[in-house]
Amino acid sequence: MRRFSDNPESFFKIWRKSLPVALASPISALVPTRILDRSEVARDVILLGVEAPELVKRVRPGHFAMALLPGGQAAGVALGIYEARGERCSLLFFLAGDRTRRLGALRVGDRLDLVAPLGNGFDCEGAERDVAIVAGGVGIASVLLPAQALLARGARVRLFYGARTAERLVEAERFAAEGCELLLATDDGSRGYNGVVTELLAREDAAEAVFACGPTPMLRAVSAYAQERNIPAQLSLEEAFGCGVGGCWGCVVPIVRTSAQAPSFPPSDADGSDVVHARVCVEGPVFRARELRW
Amino acid sequence: MVELSKFDLSARIGSLVLPYPTVALSGCYGSGAEFAPYVDLSRLGAVVLKSVTRRPRMGNSTPRIVHTPAGMLNAIGLQNPGIEWYLQHDVAKFAQTPCATIGSVAGFSVDDYAYVCERLAARSEIAAIELNISCPNVAHEGETFACDPELTARVVRAARATTDKPLIAKLSPNVTDIATIARSAVAAGADALAVVNTVRGMAIDIYQRKPRLGNVTGGLSGAAIRPIALLAVYEVARAVSVPIVGQGGIATASDALEFILAGASAVGVGTANFADPRAPMGILDGIVEYMTQQNVRRLRDLVGTANTGFANINQIEGDEG
Repeated sequence: MRRFSDNPESFFKIWRKSLPVALASPISALVPTRILDRSEVARDVILLGVEAPELVKRVRPGHFAMALLPGGQAAGVALGIYEARGERCSLLFFLAGDRTRRLGALRVGDRLDLVAPLGNGFDCEGAERDVAIVAGGVGIASVLLPAQALLARGARVRLFYGARTAERLVEAERFAAEGCELLLATDDGSRGYNGVVTELLAREDAAEAVFACGPTPMLRAVSAYAQERNIPAQLSLEEAFGCGVGGCWGCVVPIVRTSAQAPSFPPSDADGSDVVHARVCVEGPVFRARELRW
Repeated sequence: MVELSKFDLSARIGSLVLPYPTVALSGCYGSGAEFAPYVDLSRLGAVVLKSVTRRPRMGNSTPRIVHTPAGMLNAIGLQNPGIEWYLQHDVAKFAQTPCATIGSVAGFSVDDYAYVCERLAARSEIAAIELNISCPNVAHEGETFACDPELTARVVRAARATTDKPLIAKLSPNVTDIATIARSAVAAGADALAVVNTVRGMAIDIYQRKPRLGNVTGGLSGAAIRPIALLAVYEVARAVSVPIVGQGGIATASDALEFILAGASAVGVGTANFADPRAPMGILDGIVEYMTQQNVRRLRDLVGTANTGFANINQIEGDEG
């Protein structure tokens, strides 16, 4: 078997080539669903299970959904798809503002329309046998499906998971039950490492690849970590969305023009460089760390 | 779905007659294709494309969007590939859009507008041209062409000289007297007016002690600006007699009808598409329900009926026909 440690250079070359970054956008739809279950997994953290059998078939790891608020009147909320199995998809989110509170007020039996699945998703088909998943806060919602996919093909998966407090480390046990090794960090030291999760990541043995989802400062730190060590990193970005389907150009990130994910745009007067703004909702949300110019 | 065929829902914008009065606004519905998986675009009057400029533009840094109470701020900064690229790579695709596609032109000089308008209007895929003279996110301290009657006239006149296709001047609410700007645009040759663009605004993150938008200032849209936009339509409809595309926070049929009764011949739907891509179709259904209730067969018979000073030539022409 070809191993990373035998020849890292050629390993990465092959890895790059084999990574179908611009994974074709999924065929998404406006999916009417019904709430099957609702639980408050921690204070102000809601897990909503919805009945969506057709959606389950189309969801890949790292996809997200735009949840349309009942009654309209405010923009839909972009949420990572947490679970997808059988007839049920689930959404895990923090009550952070008016819009998430309105979603959180839904009850079992209520209708919820989703525009889904959206985004490119994580590429879980790489050859790496040892993957570090780094999640911060609500970013945990987007990494269960990739963790399951990686575990299913026999990879070792370590979950580096950081939150403000122990109470906010929601669903950690779920990941352990799936077969992930847990490495936890809290800002207040109430559980696991006392500090930010990227410090914990740097203290442990490096993995062959890193997947990450969380707040932008965490993703920047993961990106720096991975590039210093020449480890491929896929980052699922967080950005304020308008439409979520590529129509408004509200959620962009600068990436290198040579990226397979770069939208075909001519260079502008202003940049004069190799950078182009890609939409997080369509070209992303998952980007390769070394292609970002943020 | 409501039976539409019994009603005349058409809306006239210069020589362009839209089958329905509902228009998806620039920068809010992509080219239509982005929303095609979720809606039936043939039930839309038109889609206004994202504004295009002479040269490619990267647009503003992020965050470009901030959700606010009853609306949102945006500061995209006219990201677009520039007119040459757009003509070569994008415009041909619009032929497949099942509704009319209205081009949108932005610029930084009178010459820019004329240059881009001439090239874009020459394309058969483009049914009409919106002159975006009111984008608040690329201007110096909010000064746009639409803030000055003379600059408005110069842009419209220059664009008018390049094409016979319907020209829609998009006006700014960030002015003292919008009626003066409207008169100026019409005198210079605008066939219709889009009333209004976003209202300037900002938001601050109190923990980071920094403005939330990358561009610092942005344009406020959504329900928060609806009464402001409605008054602008009301005043413009009393000042000029060209069709008005009323826009600003329209999310429901009732909102749309307020604009129509104030004097708008057509209604634009922008931010509401982010709450539900089906918003324009829901509005159309609701308008038909209202017409059924009110026993009105032609939409244009409603235009301006709540506005005593209204004299829309579109309605008069319609009555003759």
